[in-house]
Amino acid sequence: MTMKMKMQRTVTGLSLSPSVKVKLVSAGFQFTADLLNLKPLQLSKEAGLSQQEALEVLQAARTDGDRAGAGLTALELLQQEDDIRSIVTFCSQLDTVLGGGLPVGKITEVCGAPGVGKTQLCLQLAVDVQVPPCFGGIGGQVIYIDTEGSFLVQRVVDVATAVVRHCSQLVEDDEQQIAMTAFTVESILSNIFLVRCHDYVELLAELHLLLDFLSNHPKVRLLVIDSVAFPFRQFDNLSQRSRLLNGIAQQLITLATKHCISVVITNQMTTRLRGGQSQLVPALGESWGHAPTIRLHLYWEKSQRLATIFKSPGHMDTTVQYQITSDGFRDVELAATKETGSNCC
Amino acid sequence: MVVLREGMCPGLSEDLVRDLRAAGVKTVEELVSSDIEGLAQKCSVSYKALFAIRRVLLAQHTAFPVSGADLYEELLSSTAILSTGNPSLDKLLDSGLYTGEITELSGGPGSGKSQVCFGVAVHISYHLKQSVIYIDTTGGLTASRLLQMLKAETSNTEEQASVGGGSVKAVIVDSVSAVISPLLGGKQNEGMSLMIQVAGVLKTMAKDFNVAALVTNHVTRGGNGEVLPGLGASWSHIPRTRILLERVERAVSISCSSLRSATLIKSSRQVQAALTFTSSAAIAQY
Ligand SMILES: Nc1ncnc2c1ncn2[C@@H]1O[C@H](COP(=O)(O)OP(=O)(O)OP(=O)(O)O)[C@@H](O)[C@H]1O
Ligand SMILES: [Mg+2]
Repeated sequence: MTMKMKMQRTVTGLSLSPSVKVKLVSAGFQFTADLLNLKPLQLSKEAGLSQQEALEVLQAARTDGDRAGAGLTALELLQQEDDIRSIVTFCSQLDTVLGGGLPVGKITEVCGAPGVGKTQLCLQLAVDVQVPPCFGGIGGQVIYIDTEGSFLVQRVVDVATAVVRHCSQLVEDDEQQIAMTAFTVESILSNIFLVRCHDYVELLAELHLLLDFLSNHPKVRLLVIDSVAFPFRQFDNLSQRSRLLNGIAQQLITLATKHCISVVITNQMTTRLRGGQSQLVPALGESWGHAPTIRLHLYWEKSQRLATIFKSPGHMDTTVQYQITSDGFRDVELAATKETGSNCC
Repeated sequence: MVVLREGMCPGLSEDLVRDLRAAGVKTVEELVSSDIEGLAQKCSVSYKALFAIRRVLLAQHTAFPVSGADLYEELLSSTAILSTGNPSLDKLLDSGLYTGEITELSGGPGSGKSQVCFGVAVHISYHLKQSVIYIDTTGGLTASRLLQMLKAETSNTEEQASVGGGSVKAVIVDSVSAVISPLLGGKQNEGMSLMIQVAGVLKTMAKDFNVAALVTNHVTRGGNGEVLPGLGASWSHIPRTRILLERVERAVSISCSSLRSATLIKSSRQVQAALTFTSSAAIAQY
């Protein structure tokens, strides 16, 4: 039997634009080895590429060998996961079921009807991510993409004031004392980079620019998009919409894993008719549902606010209660004796 | 298509490659199928030399016929069936994952595809003491969940840290559709050709290295609202076995049922069948 005992690297595995790859393949170049002896001019003629493209192809083919085999073991991944703290929500029940809070390096989607508290949770997280490490936080900065115009600075000030007060009550040693001098409402506000996007084109453009921004701002640990659904609400061409969304999904995953960022996005709910029954489901279609690693559903039941984890690769589907107070996103006081606020820090 | 290069076989010099190109012959296929006599004249090379080159190239590039008996022999000696760690899923798969083949799990968000992949990874590394390559394209791989599954198998922490070890027996791609579907559709059909390339690499890898390839795929809705695996008709030929995972929905709202159903929708061995399992049952077994 004919068998290639050693797998050759194919040109399609190189990081090149799809159109260049197609030209290479249709000119008969299958493996990177086919390219190694060529001069840029030769290649540009044979594959119908511009000289610049040909040069890039050859560079990619040459550096490819060094890159192969990158990866990590599950044990290393576990150590990474243990090293990175999660972002607390200040609702200790939710933090507990999430294993410490919202994970960094993953995408979390918050779905729910208008007014149920999605934006409140986002604002809370934008403050919480800044809690200094000596208080159990991660001391990170935030990029906040607001597509609905619902980012209200006054509300951030309220939430931030409560968190600063909470931390100042916890001070026990000098380190924490010093950290508190820098952890103020003003510093919290200046560490939130707000971006307003008015339509999906602006959102797509912003996501493209983010990679550069993040390289210059290595302390960013949280990206909020509130909401993804709104810019895509009126879209006639559904297949184009899902292609754009699929692209966004891939971009967000890259951002989250490469830059060690927690990506939190919000989504609306919509009714779906199936088999004569109407169901309340997250908007943006079923295939979008693969994009977030974790999906939370916030909803009302009677007069209670509930949060359900309904998709996560590591958590059981669970429901907890929460409330929104003037201080922000909080636990529901179970007994009157218990103090408001969480002791999660 | 294989491009002619100098030194591919004796006698194929740089000059000759250039002359052949000038005569419009760039690839092995073109050389093999062209008129040798005319070509020899055009390239001012002897007929005998060109004929010899052609013969060598033919020998290098044709597939040899193999007898069914030999194939069977090879199959028996090299194919392994890897248990997924979930007995009912194994039954559906006619004992488990076959090395040399591509098996696909498709299903909507949260249908349990990644859970099955984790289970397979843990089972192969812990029980079979072999290695697994896990290609995570969606950021869903969570080591703490792997550890949780492993802990249900053994409480010995040293064992937990040193599973696997042998050769790579499985390659898991979770998910293929996440990276391919953004390229499909639209005006260009580059996406399609890249998809076929990915399929080709997966197949060759499974065969040549004798590993089981397990891939996940999303789902779409057919005209009548029925659930179909994603990536369309061209992809449907790629996996040898396809399984559809679904949440068993109970309530009218987005349900929190932990029950999942698995349906065999394509197989070269089994008739179609279905089963249900729960993700917590999966834990119990682990
Ligand atoms: N530790 C756990 N205990 C019990 N059930 C769990 C646990 N972790 C995850 N699950 C269940 O598995 C579900 C997620 O399944 P999984 O991650 O396999 O989805 P998926 O099919 O890969 O979805 P996607 O296509 O979006 O990646 C959760 O919603 C939950 O029901
Ligand atoms: Mg998954």
